[in-house]
Amino acid sequence: MGIITVLWEKWVEFRRDFYKITVAAMISPLMYLIIFGLGIRTTSHGEPYIHFLVPGLVAMVTMTGSFGAIAQSMSVQRLYEKALDQVMVSPTPLWQFITGQVIGGSLRGLYAACVILVMTIPVRHGLVFNWLSFLIMVLNGMVFATLALVLSFLAKTYSDAPRFNTYIIMPMSFLCNTFFSTEEMPDGFRQIIDILPLSQASGMIRSIANGEAPGAIGFVILFAYLIILGGISVFFIYRKKNL
Amino acid sequence: MIELKDLTKKFGDFTAVDGLSFEIGTGEFFGLLGPNGAGKTTTISMLSTVLLPTSGEIYIDGVRLTRGASEQKRKLAVITQEYSMRQDMTMDEVMEYQGRLYYLPKKEIKKRANELLEFAGLSEYHRRTVRHLSGGMKRKLMICRALLIEPEILLLDEPTAGMDALSRRQMWNLLRQVSGRDMTILLTTHYIEEAEALCDRVAMINRGKLRKLDSPESLIREIGEFTVDETGEHDLKSTHFHTREDAIRYLESASADSTFRQTTLEDVFIEVAGRKIT
Repeated sequence: MGIITVLWEKWVEFRRDFYKITVAAMISPLMYLIIFGLGIRTTSHGEPYIHFLVPGLVAMVTMTGSFGAIAQSMSVQRLYEKALDQVMVSPTPLWQFITGQVIGGSLRGLYAACVILVMTIPVRHGLVFNWLSFLIMVLNGMVFATLALVLSFLAKTYSDAPRFNTYIIMPMSFLCNTFFSTEEMPDGFRQIIDILPLSQASGMIRSIANGEAPGAIGFVILFAYLIILGGISVFFIYRKKNL
Repeated sequence: MIELKDLTKKFGDFTAVDGLSFEIGTGEFFGLLGPNGAGKTTTISMLSTVLLPTSGEIYIDGVRLTRGASEQKRKLAVITQEYSMRQDMTMDEVMEYQGRLYYLPKKEIKKRANELLEFAGLSEYHRRTVRHLSGGMKRKLMICRALLIEPEILLLDEPTAGMDALSRRQMWNLLRQVSGRDMTILLTTHYIEEAEALCDRVAMINRGKLRKLDSPESLIREIGEFTVDETGEHDLKSTHFHTREDAIRYLESASADSTFRQTTLEDVFIEVAGRKIT
């Protein structure tokens, strides 16, 4: 099945770059943990700030891990290596290729989240991460892997990939419920930020971490993004005139 | 059988392929000949479905080729002009990826890959990543990758571009062996001698339009098999003749700088398109 082929290709990539991928997954979250969690010791809602920060960072790395894995790889394959041509001419159904990319990207995000969870064991006493947290991490990773696919199909040059990070991923990292609650944002702006996928994923993972049930609306929003972006990427790979 | 029906591809205002229509028979070695920018690679890209036509259709064995036509695509393999491979994969991984994309069993992939890499003289480098291979080795690997799936139709886009004379000859020999397997081959090239040496029939295209289509021998016969070149002060004038006697008679009355030779496909192209293929 085509999905397994793509996952095998992702596994080859992961196995080869294991150390690079692992270190890259650790660096930024480690900096945020040191600066905001341990360096500037504050509290949030009466709790140590690090308890607020860790679930947000976990959600954030599922986004950056999944997005980075697909945006970088697909842009290189499509525009520089032309390796996508090999897939396009093959009998592997293209929807399976897309599905494989989305699952593979999501697993890379999940791996990055697991690295953070292991790193923060000494400082996250009392926070709960259960199967539902992992489901949200996978779902969030799938959303951003699909977004990465759509953007890499739109990219005109190889240098567009880093631009997507600057314009989309970096602002979301800082604004979407990672470092501070969106409740503190002004009306109008808050509603826009709230419907972004990372805000929902952070909020839900944080709720579970604090022993509360996550709201169903978060799942609805993440699924809606996944269906819309998935539909666009499938449309592009079947119908875009010049891939 | 491959059928191109009124195939057109536009990029904005620029028409790269303009109403191309022809058929390629099963087992035929077919050449698409034209200068740089004639529309050869665009045509191959539409056959490999990387580009979709602006209008017109492609049929493989009577079924329309689309990106979703898995059964038709199973018959196709492409060797592109660029080294279209994952640069960070090893040769073994490149072959396995190809085999998996075409649903070959793992044992079969391993067996065929070993045979092909051995045949191409690449087996000792099988663990080397693509980025560490020379240009010639990458080209051979692309051929091995295409042959791994034992395609019914092989699309070759300028397979000898940038090769030295010896490597080019080796490639021709390899292609002759491959065509002996009853495979339909579409070769694009701007090397006249390549088309002449390998192809059963040749389509000459220029500025996206089909100018001539026939066997190399018939195309040459049509304008005359004998040529007299007259070197002028600023240009070279070639006149073609159907009989040797006519050509010699003309040569005797021509200037001292004139020479006599056999007509080539390049002469045909100059007659048809009004410019040299380089």
